[in-house]
Amino acid sequence: MPSQTSHEEGLLHFIEADAPARHRLFESFQAALKTAAREEGTEAARRWALRALQPTLSYSELMSLRRWLVRSEQAPPHVLRLAVLGGPTTTQLTQLVESFLAGLGVNVDVYEAGYGLFRQELLTPGSPLDAFRPQLVFLATSNRDVLRCPRLGDPAQHVERLLDQELADWNSLWEIARNRWQATVIQNTFEIPPIRVMGHYGIRHPAAAETYLERLNLALAASAPPHVLLHDVRALAAEAGASAWFDPRFYFDAKLPCGPDCLVAYAHSVASLIAASRGKSRKVLVLDLDNTLWGDVVGDVGAGGIRLGQGLPDGEAFFAFQQYCKALQERGVVLAVCSKNDEARAREPFTLRTDMALKLTDLSCFIANWNNKVDNLREIARVLELGLDSFVFVDDNPMERAVVRRFLPAVAVPDMPEDPAGFVAALHQHRYFEMTAFTAEDAHRGHHYAEEGARRQLADQAVDIDSFLASLEMRARCEPVGELSLERAVQLVNKSNQFNLTTRRCSVAEMRARASDRAWRTLTVSLRDRVGDSGLISVLILVHEDSRLVVDTWVMSCRVLNRGVETFVLNQLLALARGLGVSQIEGTYVPTPRNGLVRDHYRRLGFAMARSDGETTNWVLTGVDRLDPLPTHVLPEDA
Amino acid sequence: MSELRERVQAIFRSVFGDDTLVLSDGMTAADVDGWDSLAHINLIIAIEQKLGVKFATAEISRLKEPGQNVGSFLKLIEGKMAGRA
Repeated sequence: MPSQTSHEEGLLHFIEADAPARHRLFESFQAALKTAAREEGTEAARRWALRALQPTLSYSELMSLRRWLVRSEQAPPHVLRLAVLGGPTTTQLTQLVESFLAGLGVNVDVYEAGYGLFRQELLTPGSPLDAFRPQLVFLATSNRDVLRCPRLGDPAQHVERLLDQELADWNSLWEIARNRWQATVIQNTFEIPPIRVMGHYGIRHPAAAETYLERLNLALAASAPPHVLLHDVRALAAEAGASAWFDPRFYFDAKLPCGPDCLVAYAHSVASLIAASRGKSRKVLVLDLDNTLWGDVVGDVGAGGIRLGQGLPDGEAFFAFQQYCKALQERGVVLAVCSKNDEARAREPFTLRTDMALKLTDLSCFIANWNNKVDNLREIARVLELGLDSFVFVDDNPMERAVVRRFLPAVAVPDMPEDPAGFVAALHQHRYFEMTAFTAEDAHRGHHYAEEGARRQLADQAVDIDSFLASLEMRARCEPVGELSLERAVQLVNKSNQFNLTTRRCSVAEMRARASDRAWRTLTVSLRDRVGDSGLISVLILVHEDSRLVVDTWVMSCRVLNRGVETFVLNQLLALARGLGVSQIEGTYVPTPRNGLVRDHYRRLGFAMARSDGETTNWVLTGVDRLDPLPTHVLPEDA
Repeated sequence: MSELRERVQAIFRSVFGDDTLVLSDGMTAADVDGWDSLAHINLIIAIEQKLGVKFATAEISRLKEPGQNVGSFLKLIEGKMAGRA
């Protein structure tokens, strides 16, 4: 049907476009969505609308897109119960958060408290909020929700007392959310008002609003336990400009927390944080080279001729972008290169120049050839063993961006301005790499990939897989989840997609509750070998019921695939089962598009299939008290 | 139809998701399905962004006051755009 191809082309034109063309095409995109809904159904229109969502759209455009996001009956039931408790009016904010979350793959059930009722709802047992049993409580507050503000004449000790009481008050709200529902809390920092009645003297005066609020923010951050995520509205307002952030007209008329365009940035920021807490942030930054990491074409002008570094204004801008990428790498983002280039020439700036912020050792994968970038991105995903939906692709060339947007919808492709001075801000505004914890594993992720390269070399030298594994001298430590491993364990459970038997996610609060509940058993596995320390790489959550031990969750980092860790873990399970006097271990495999890798996981470990409904399979291992440990090259730490 | 009326009508259609909506001077919030306080704010924001005008605080909800209608609203916008030119 010709009409079908034409509306699909209309949809794709919008998806492929950069701003400002994207805004010009919005109306025709809307029309094409209508055609898609009529000819292919509302679910098809919904998928296109989800693909189009991004924080560079305007408030009005996002509100128009919302109409297409209503979930159909067949939509996956996997939802997160999110309570939004304001503060200021949250209606518009909540709608935008819901849209962005859907775009990020998190479907929510929302409970919204009435205007200004957040304290009452939290403090009243049996309130509608209590009945909703939120998993996530977003305290959508603003600086007007601070209860105790000092007067300028108050003595210093009184200001201190107020600050302590205010802090205790917020802490007690967090505790309620944890004790009553084991909920994760999102706490806004308070924006600093732009108007300072004491002028420049204010920063020296403890009772001045700006000084008091700054201190309160820092105190909140310092006292927040792991189940509380700080959402830094103070930083958002500063980014927008404090005067641009707050639009008094819309506050006086409708109690909006900020102006309409800032509301988009605000909602997108909260949504990104929530998605990150569910393991949905991006992990890999794939970079083009020519005119992305440096100016000009290295193949034409050589490593000495590219525009980079001191003395060249645009060269400094490219260097600043490299520094930003390097900083992302240092906090755990995996970097890769995907360039249309002759490989030897493409490497020369890294090997010949001393003024590159990025070094070859910072890059976990380097692909420079003349193939198309769609194939090359697939190859990078294969080499890194990471899904394309964890990729961000940065390229100065609008054609390359359009092609990747069209053929690899899972990959995020931000607009890049022509001027490299705008690169950092263009990438940053998408908040692709939000994090909710910073673990030792994050700090060393780049090294892990470098070590993996060293292990591959060992594998090439070893005559067979057995002697290779033996040569690694692997030692594993197995222990329950504790305070020190809590954040990493939750991170791994929420981020693992491939080696994940049931893909059940878990918050910090839930994990802590299970670690201390006698009916549950938690298990973490840390692995080191003679090349390096892989850190905490596997987590299991088990239920102990009478004579059965049931595996609820089993995840493992793909970094340590095919090394016998699973077998080691099974031996640990056998020992645990014996200790509990349990004769039977049961496991479940719930298939997803990503976890085909572990379809036969339980079969390989000697389990028998007990049930299958065509998708989910249930497995059982009986007589565990009589079974011998399976052979593996992974030895216990103390062996 | 004047150019301004046509542009404002397009904004109404987009905000209320109704391609058949036709503006008339006597029209009020009660005549349009879904014209609640949320839709009203969306309408004001869309007009500000698309026409580059700025409403004063008291003007934001004036259209919902007694005696006001789309005709008086269009005049208000027209005045703002003339003042800007």
